[in-house]
Amino acid sequence: MSPSQRPELVADGYAPRRPRWVQLATSADHKDVGQILICGALGFLFIALVELVLMRIQLLVPENTFLSPVGFNRMLSLYGASAIFLFALPLAIGLFYYVAPLQVGARGTALPRLGQVGLALWIAGAVAQYATFVFTPTEAGVNPLAPLSEVAFLSSNGVDAWATSTGLATLGFVLLAVNLVATLRVMRAPGMAWRRLPVFAWAAAVCSWLLVVIGPIFLAALTMLMIDRNYDGIFFADGSGGAPLLWQHLSWIFYTGFYMLILIFAFGAIAEIAATFARKPLFNRTVVMAALAAIAVLGTLAWMQNMLTAPIGIGWMYFAMLVSLALIVPFGLVIFNLIATMAGGTLRMRAPLLFAFGALFAIGIGLAAELCHSLVAAAWQLHNTTDSTAATHFALIGGSVFGGFAALHFWFPKMTGRTMGESLARISFWTILAGLLLGFVPLFFAGAGEGQVVDAYKYFDNTGVTAYNVISSIGVFILFVGILLTILNAIFSRTNGPEAGHDPWGGDTLEWFTLSPPEPHNFDVLPDVRSPRPLRDIREAIGHRTRRSQEAAARESQPVA
Amino acid sequence: MAPHSPGTDQIDTLLWIGFVAAAILMIAITGALLYVARRYRSERGAEPRQLLSGRGLQFRVAGVLTIFAALLFVLGVVFTDNAREAPSTGDAGLASLKSEPLKIKATGQQWLWRYDYPNGAFSYYKLVVPSDTAIELELLSTDVVHTWNVEELARKADAVPGKTNKVLFSVSADDAGTYDGDSATLSGQAYASMRTEVEVVSPQEYEDFVETQQEEIEAAQERVVGLIEEGKTP
Repeated sequence: MSPSQRPELVADGYAPRRPRWVQLATSADHKDVGQILICGALGFLFIALVELVLMRIQLLVPENTFLSPVGFNRMLSLYGASAIFLFALPLAIGLFYYVAPLQVGARGTALPRLGQVGLALWIAGAVAQYATFVFTPTEAGVNPLAPLSEVAFLSSNGVDAWATSTGLATLGFVLLAVNLVATLRVMRAPGMAWRRLPVFAWAAAVCSWLLVVIGPIFLAALTMLMIDRNYDGIFFADGSGGAPLLWQHLSWIFYTGFYMLILIFAFGAIAEIAATFARKPLFNRTVVMAALAAIAVLGTLAWMQNMLTAPIGIGWMYFAMLVSLALIVPFGLVIFNLIATMAGGTLRMRAPLLFAFGALFAIGIGLAAELCHSLVAAAWQLHNTTDSTAATHFALIGGSVFGGFAALHFWFPKMTGRTMGESLARISFWTILAGLLLGFVPLFFAGAGEGQVVDAYKYFDNTGVTAYNVISSIGVFILFVGILLTILNAIFSRTNGPEAGHDPWGGDTLEWFTLSPPEPHNFDVLPDVRSPRPLRDIREAIGHRTRRSQEAAARESQPVA
Repeated sequence: MAPHSPGTDQIDTLLWIGFVAAAILMIAITGALLYVARRYRSERGAEPRQLLSGRGLQFRVAGVLTIFAALLFVLGVVFTDNAREAPSTGDAGLASLKSEPLKIKATGQQWLWRYDYPNGAFSYYKLVVPSDTAIELELLSTDVVHTWNVEELARKADAVPGKTNKVLFSVSADDAGTYDGDSATLSGQAYASMRTEVEVVSPQEYEDFVETQQEEIEAAQERVVGLIEEGKTP
């Protein structure tokens, strides 16, 4: 081969670089899609909190008239939809979508365009939800129980918009989940066996499978609701042979699965953070992985725990109690192993670990309180009181705000190349914790002690709940401020945070092997994966080599006897 | 809320069992977190021991958790069964009943509770029941899902359109009095105001109440029929 025939790199045919926003809007890259989901989720968290604060202002004093009854119900419905479909789920799925392919050493995803369509559907859902302000928002509640959601009782388009919005978002999540399932199945790096999968990537696989199961069930329920409302259907309409309870079953399967998904996501993130910041391997990682899968299955099977006052047979109630109480074992094992991972370590108390501690604390309180709602006769008293509001908020704020923020602080350097401000993160953490405790502990007492009911736009002075509600309203405002601080911290640190480098925390998994932010193709080279901690293996190998060469040098410099 | 019927006594006991179990878990988790955060905190510590797993420890923890869950399940079934036990009418109860419970229909509608008594009388908002008598409340709904909720006397239960849900309870004469209640499922605009009240009276007072109520309803109906016949109302 003569020198002139040698192949040369030709840069001629490359398209010129497009503006960043055009690139983002048209990109199917999992990192771009994930980042858009995360940014969107944080934006909608702010909106959801504004709605929550408005509701709490209404509940500040007895028989307040700040919001009208209809206005309150609209805020309630929008808050529920925003918090679940526009904040908690996209934040969890966005982080999974960004991080999990990197963790398994994939150079992309298996079905990138499918994920891009998923993102587009989610955006369409979010637009449909907030376009309702142009006409009428729904007022049927967080889970609009049929037949209140039927056209006979709420004839405005609000419920249709809600169903369209949540349906589009759910379909989007399912598509993203399908891509994650495929990617984690076929695109793992050589040597990355399932048993060596980082726990966060395992959590991504479990949650994606869960979404593939529960998503279509919810979509079916929404479709039936739309047929009922618009085409004279009778699925949930009593009197013509329909069954209002059918809606409850189908929707609670989804909402209970969602609850479990958020907790599995949080546990997955906490597992990575705990191991990294304690400089130890995850304690009993196979048990943790099995327990996360068990939570997904048992947790979703416990959907009737939400229906213990409905006319269902006592046998079903005992079944719901059995599976809910059985959850104590996997939840307990995961929490125990996470704490055992940190015990005996050398804990560097940086922002991600601080938020992880907060997440375990809040989830622990929430799940323990939820236990009382699983005991059938106890639920006959506690069901639909503010005690259940408090338990749910502790578990889900623990999972999606504390857990989500822990993950955000942890992987923010990977996404932007910069770490988030540490002191602002600390202030934000303690403010959120204070807000959560002040905002929701009083509701435990108001619900379990005085029987204050959920979703009501007002309460009466002689029922003994005034003081609790005043404290709760103040607490929720503090919570709002605390969360706002982290959102501002993220916005500010994106351009002004301290430079992080490719591995700011000394991580053990593959995402820390590549640049921050990674190139579009993720990795130039990949190490052989021989354990769950490939980067630690590399560090050890380098350490060995260095020691050996130093020893050799020392030997050579010794005088020959 | 203090329980005022045998059924709610059982519910209350189970609630306290649940609270204690929850408190144990909350204290254990919070305590462990605080201990670990204080004891093992170090910015520049030496490389810790790389402990991968502990089989024995794991089995013991799993065993304790399983026993804890199983115990709660058994207690849950026992107290739920006790709370479901059908109450019987005492000697001081309503004499006209034999072994049957007093059947009253409670109908939820946006945004009122209507009570239909066996003799055809009915009342809105306020339910009057005799003491020492087994009462079977049949919950119905004419529109959306409502939850009948009088915590001190009976369990919460949903009135679902097209279905009937039953609530059984009895109140002793010592606990006679008035109890507040409300609805516990979002049912539309006036949901917060959809309240109710249960008045527990002696069997004699109950008989008087339903009779007067029936007579008044009949009188009112006759008056309306009379007016219609006279052509005074459309």
